[in-house]
Amino acid sequence: MSETTLSTALPPAGRSLGQDAWVRLKRNKAAVASAIVLMLLAFAGIVGPYLAPHPYDRIYPQYVRTPASLEAYPRKDAIAPAFMSALERARVQIGEIAVSGTTVRAPISSDAPLDPRIVRYVDRSDLFSNARLEGLDGKALTAGATSGTIVADVHRLRFLFGTDANGRDLLSRILIGIRISLAIGVLASAMSLLLGVAYGAIAGYLGGRIDNVMMRVVDILYSLPFIFFVILLVVFFGRNFVLIFIAIGCTEWLDMARIVRGQTLTLKRQEYVQAAEALGVPDADIVRRHIIPNALGPVVVFVTLLVPKAILLESLLSFLGLGVQEPLTSLGLLIAEGASNMRGAAWLLIYPAVTLTTMLFALNFLGDGLRDALDPKDR
Amino acid sequence: MEKQSLLKVRNLRVEFSTNDGVVEAVKGIDLDLRSNETVAIVGESGSGKSQAMMAIMGLLAANGRASGSASYRGQELIGLGESGLNRIRGSKITMIFQEPMTSLDPLYRIGRQLVEPMVHHRGLAARAARARAIELLELVGIPDPGRRIDSYPHELSGGQRQRVMIAMALANEPDVLIADEPTTALDVTIQAQILTLLADLQSKLGMAIVFITHDLGIVRRFADRVYVMRAGEVVEQDHTGSLFANPSHPYTRMLLAAQPTGRKTPPPPDSPPLLEGRDVNVTFRIGGGWFSRSVDELRAVANASVSLRRGQTIGIVGESGSGKSTLGRALLRLVPSRGTIRFEERDISDADKNHMRPLRKRLQLVFQDPFGSLSPRMTVGQIVTEGLRVHMPKMPAHERDLRASEVLREVGLDPAVANRYPHEFSGGQRQRIAIARAMILKPGVVVLDEPTSALDRSVQKQIVDLLRDLQSAHGLSYLFISHDLAVVRAMADYIIVMRAGRLVEEGPTDAIFDSPREDYTKSLMAAALDGTPFRNTPARA
Repeated sequence: MSETTLSTALPPAGRSLGQDAWVRLKRNKAAVASAIVLMLLAFAGIVGPYLAPHPYDRIYPQYVRTPASLEAYPRKDAIAPAFMSALERARVQIGEIAVSGTTVRAPISSDAPLDPRIVRYVDRSDLFSNARLEGLDGKALTAGATSGTIVADVHRLRFLFGTDANGRDLLSRILIGIRISLAIGVLASAMSLLLGVAYGAIAGYLGGRIDNVMMRVVDILYSLPFIFFVILLVVFFGRNFVLIFIAIGCTEWLDMARIVRGQTLTLKRQEYVQAAEALGVPDADIVRRHIIPNALGPVVVFVTLLVPKAILLESLLSFLGLGVQEPLTSLGLLIAEGASNMRGAAWLLIYPAVTLTTMLFALNFLGDGLRDALDPKDR
Repeated sequence: MEKQSLLKVRNLRVEFSTNDGVVEAVKGIDLDLRSNETVAIVGESGSGKSQAMMAIMGLLAANGRASGSASYRGQELIGLGESGLNRIRGSKITMIFQEPMTSLDPLYRIGRQLVEPMVHHRGLAARAARARAIELLELVGIPDPGRRIDSYPHELSGGQRQRVMIAMALANEPDVLIADEPTTALDVTIQAQILTLLADLQSKLGMAIVFITHDLGIVRRFADRVYVMRAGEVVEQDHTGSLFANPSHPYTRMLLAAQPTGRKTPPPPDSPPLLEGRDVNVTFRIGGGWFSRSVDELRAVANASVSLRRGQTIGIVGESGSGKSTLGRALLRLVPSRGTIRFEERDISDADKNHMRPLRKRLQLVFQDPFGSLSPRMTVGQIVTEGLRVHMPKMPAHERDLRASEVLREVGLDPAVANRYPHEFSGGQRQRIAIARAMILKPGVVVLDEPTSALDRSVQKQIVDLLRDLQSAHGLSYLFISHDLAVVRAMADYIIVMRAGRLVEEGPTDAIFDSPREDYTKSLMAAALDGTPFRNTPARA
């Protein structure tokens, strides 16, 4: 008998299909870039709201609909007139107002000795705080002096992405929106993944009448209008963040179940499944060890496409007032608000839309990349 | 003496850039084809024989690159642009492929698929093209071509489809026909018909044929000259007669000797029957659902009785669709059947899954396709030990691994392969893994469902030897299902010939081979083992 023993020069541990796919994915630049973008977005969503300078629900009534800008508010040229108008009531002569960083100072003089209480006029304004009088030499004002310098801290705020119609910082709201949208996308997809894969694999593997009944149930659920279903859920359980991803997961798993069932039907005829049957492997183990791992390729791809779909569905629900509630927000909600302010405040639409588009692009590119990487025909 | 070379290939190289670097599939081959001549390119899978021809036709996969020279009547083909190539391929040089099931578009009638290229390439009017198509179908021996021209591909048998493919290739009266394993997917009797047809057409139309195959039996009867390829190189070339008479290269000699030889020693006559089937019937229901009552029945196996004794090998022979695989599976209770099946004196006709489970250990199955029968996401170790996990769940992991390396060594593999995945192995190695999976449970009966059909001849021989060794070492009984009579002859002591679900003839191997009684058996034998050439006028000038 001829012995064809394999040479031992080959590496002892083989490359699995998964590792092969990983190598292929890593060579796909668009997919790698998308993965990095997604990781950055996820990081921004998780950590961003803690690092952002403004809480997402803080309202600044004096800064309603301020456009996006790198400069801090109030602007430099707006500070002097404001300071002037605050000081006017003190009835002193005001010299040239100098703004430097976060302080504003102005020399003042009066016929009578300066009353230290005039600082209150300044403090009364929202813009200024910690107003104090100083002598011209920079030291504390001596009693009875008729001229000195009034110094106040300016409270300057930066709104990189501008503020919304209620005076809330858009950047902070986008960050929390990323968090909510990604969370809903991922959780809803995970839920539909669990339900759909298990249901589809069982229906497809058992086949026959059971398959028929199980898939007709899916058909019936398909025919339920999504919005109606969500309204029902909201009526029964009240508005709740968890409810949104349950609702989305509950409708999206139907697609997943169909895909997995189709896969299972073809996999079931594969000889390795028949071989397992001939070995006497119990049904549950065949589904777990042979069917599901081999069906995962298309499933992974579908999930990456499901995440954006869930995000979009969530925006729809939030837009209809069934989803995320103020002051919490999501990207879809932000876009809806932006759309209604489009004419006067384009930034309210542009920034959330760009963020969502980037996220969806990245997810879709990654999905494409995964499909190419997992496609065994490319081998 | 020598005619002008029609197709002249010099130093042709084909490279593929893959994940693991550049792979050289063809390493500089020379080849000449003269008009009205049949040249065979022989080699095992992966020898680059198909890729060389694909390169000439400009049909390489996207990651392939050809260099060197291939000229057709002085016209260089390598590096020729798409439009230049299109003028030659499809009209002057045409190709037929291995798989007749997939090379016709299932959505169009064959007439349309035949007519369209004629209308496009030669500007024939639709009516004239149709007349020509019918003529062509007649030429390739399709019965009733006037009616058949309006059939869809699925209405034709595999052999008829291959005939249609040949008709398509002949439509523009080519000079060169490249046939890439045109008969490998067909049954032996059909194979003989197709080859006779090709030989006839050649003498009628006077074209040159490049015949790519791994089957030396065909080459001997069909080709004028032979090129033997191995690992991208031509190791030997000669006229067919002299090559077969005195092969000079050791590889050619090895290929020629690769026919499975030897006989199995029959079991002692008093050995008890192990697996018996009496009047086994298998019917499949076709169609029918919730809303339709009409159900057709297909009788895959009709009243078959088999008795397999300990240590015996029964060969089940028949063409595709004869029900031989179904019978094998019915005996293992893997498809529902009627009739009595007894295993080790126990009636298992009505045993359900749970009752069968303890018996599965003793009843094993090895499949035809070594690429489909191993789960691609499990390591070899996991695949081989799966049976142990089912039947001996209490066995500790290290003992399982020990058993796995034992059985891997027994089938001729290094136990270190246990950590690798099936896609890293060749067909023969995979089949060894599949055999190891069956053997680890120490079965009594193994049903071998065409275990060698997908393998190269030399590998076939190794697998046959391995199976015979395992049988004598463990006293196994085999049910050996195959359409390949040479392999069956080397494996079986008893042969059952099946046709359309019925047992046509049965008897000891030698009796069947030496004096077949039924016409069907005779025609099978003639198609497979006859050595007469398909062509009576060799075109050697």
